[in-house]
Amino acid sequence: MRRKNPWLSILFWIFISFLTLFPIYWLFVVSVKPAVELFSTPDVILRSVYWQNYIDVLNDRTLREYMLNSLIISTGNALLCTTLGFFACYALSRFDLSGKESIFFWTITNRMAPPAVFLLPLFLLMTQVYRIGDFSLLDTRIGMILVYCTFNLPFAIWTLRPTVDGIPKELDEAAFVDGASPWKVITEVVFPLCRPGLAVTLILTWVFAWNEYLLAATLTNFNARTLTTGLSEYVTTTGTEWGIMAAISVFTLIPALIVFGMVQRHIVTGLTFGAVKG
Amino acid sequence: MQSRKLGWLLLAPTLAVLFLFGVVPFFYVIYVAFHQWNPFAANPEMIFNGADNFRQVVFDAGFLASLGVTMAFVFFAVLTELIIGYLLAQAFMKDFPGKAIFRTIHTLPLIMAPIIVGSIWKLMTTPSIGIIPHLLDSWFGYDLNIGQSAGAAFAITVIMDVWHWTPLVTLTLIAALVSLPPDPFEQAQIDGANKRQIFWHITLPMIAPAVVATVFIRLMDALRTVDEVLMLTGGGPGSATRYVGVHIFKEVFPRTNYGYGSAVSVIVLYLTIVVCWLLYVGMLAPRNTKKG
Amino acid sequence: MTDPLDRPAPGTRPDDDTPEAAKPGFLPIETNWFDRLFISVVVWVALSLFWFRFIEPMGPSIWISNAIALALAALIITKG
Repeated sequence: MRRKNPWLSILFWIFISFLTLFPIYWLFVVSVKPAVELFSTPDVILRSVYWQNYIDVLNDRTLREYMLNSLIISTGNALLCTTLGFFACYALSRFDLSGKESIFFWTITNRMAPPAVFLLPLFLLMTQVYRIGDFSLLDTRIGMILVYCTFNLPFAIWTLRPTVDGIPKELDEAAFVDGASPWKVITEVVFPLCRPGLAVTLILTWVFAWNEYLLAATLTNFNARTLTTGLSEYVTTTGTEWGIMAAISVFTLIPALIVFGMVQRHIVTGLTFGAVKG
Repeated sequence: MQSRKLGWLLLAPTLAVLFLFGVVPFFYVIYVAFHQWNPFAANPEMIFNGADNFRQVVFDAGFLASLGVTMAFVFFAVLTELIIGYLLAQAFMKDFPGKAIFRTIHTLPLIMAPIIVGSIWKLMTTPSIGIIPHLLDSWFGYDLNIGQSAGAAFAITVIMDVWHWTPLVTLTLIAALVSLPPDPFEQAQIDGANKRQIFWHITLPMIAPAVVATVFIRLMDALRTVDEVLMLTGGGPGSATRYVGVHIFKEVFPRTNYGYGSAVSVIVLYLTIVVCWLLYVGMLAPRNTKKG
Repeated sequence: MTDPLDRPAPGTRPDDDTPEAAKPGFLPIETNWFDRLFISVVVWVALSLFWFRFIEPMGPSIWISNAIALALAALIITKG
């Protein structure tokens, strides 16, 4: 508004961007250094690239399993949340249900709950109450998929509601008049029109599930450990393998970075419960 | 409209999942909090013991200390984020080439997993590996050791939180600033108001709802910060960075004293709900009075 | 969809003209019966915790605090 010279702004923003990007760059630097070089004088400039840390991570059977678990859990959770959220939004948008705005508001409050508080009750419920015979949800992928719904399902409903509300009601009413079944209307009339919104929701719920650590660390022991818990296992008091830890971090970071460009504008909308349109 | 039954049918799975993993745990934790329950104690059964768990909690020095440091952390982190976020938002109000790219870069930390942020800052600040202690040492001769100095560890967790979450504040405030009408500012300039007067009397009141909303969201998030701190300092040194979430994860959950742990969880939940509600009221109150 | 922060809390909808709708009281904000019940519970918990920490060690039973909280709750719900 005030200054006419853009160079000062650009210089300022290059500086800010440097502050944002440098820590991420540093992560990469550490991940491509052999352990011996790490403890010499910290060096900002990369002189040689050492890929062994990445190869070690990929060759580690446990970590490969964790990666697979992470993939299955986040994909399953994203698909489940987007599907259920889509149905729920359709119901909230098209039907005259009593108290539906209260229901909508209540679903959102689920996302605000601090996860640390729910560690103990979820752990107890999963070991003591939610079990059929010998099968308990603890330490299973399906259990984690369901638990992640507590924060991802409200998010999916929140982001999908405007999309579904935006589809003209006349379209599905016309289809109903033509004698289409409700299932057909949802899958063949509404669903194709919602595709962009559904894609964004799917991606973001996937990333949130992929990023989650606290619940995964407490509600799994062995079978359903995710990559983020694998990362914390590499930080021990007896001596952390810094290079490996950095390499795992990079692996965990990659999916988020890939989708970042696509969903950038929606992140803020999602994180602020829609208070701000990004 | 079509039958309501179909609507409820479509809503049912969502409500069922949120009921089982949201509502039931909420009431279950309150229920357990009123019991003595330790499966590895002499009596592993669940025994109702009234409010005894809460009697213990209010004298639990470790828990009270963690509440104290949490409040300090939230205060410093959210305040710093607000100030920096506001300045950056103002800087974004000008037009300059490459604005979109800088904005994208600035948004980047938001999508990163908290635990990765923790691991990044651990690699940045661990003595003998990190670049920050090295530079501080060679430039100022200051020995930064987050494993030993409580103050340094606390400061680094705040800096980490600021790095991670300031973009959110910036973007919410940009949205607020963009929607401001230009007239009051022009009028104030004609009347000869200086920059500080314009900020306090025009800008701030007009963006106040957005600021409150941002504080509300950041406060909620800062109160449940666990992953990054756990990764960076593990709550240490001592209990310098053992924020309530970290406290529950490290000190309460691993012990099998379920009744007591539930009582601690209930108190944290209570405080979160109260803070949340106060801010919600603070956000709605101006609107209500406006309506008259 | 409207701005969610403009979305009124459940029960506080302005078009809600039923008898239990918002009415002015001594509380600084407009409240309905559910808000007042909520405030009462919050006050009750706060008072109990305070009592456990500072007053019970000196003798007075927690039931006194509960009675006070109940009286306050009655006051808030009827007059708030």
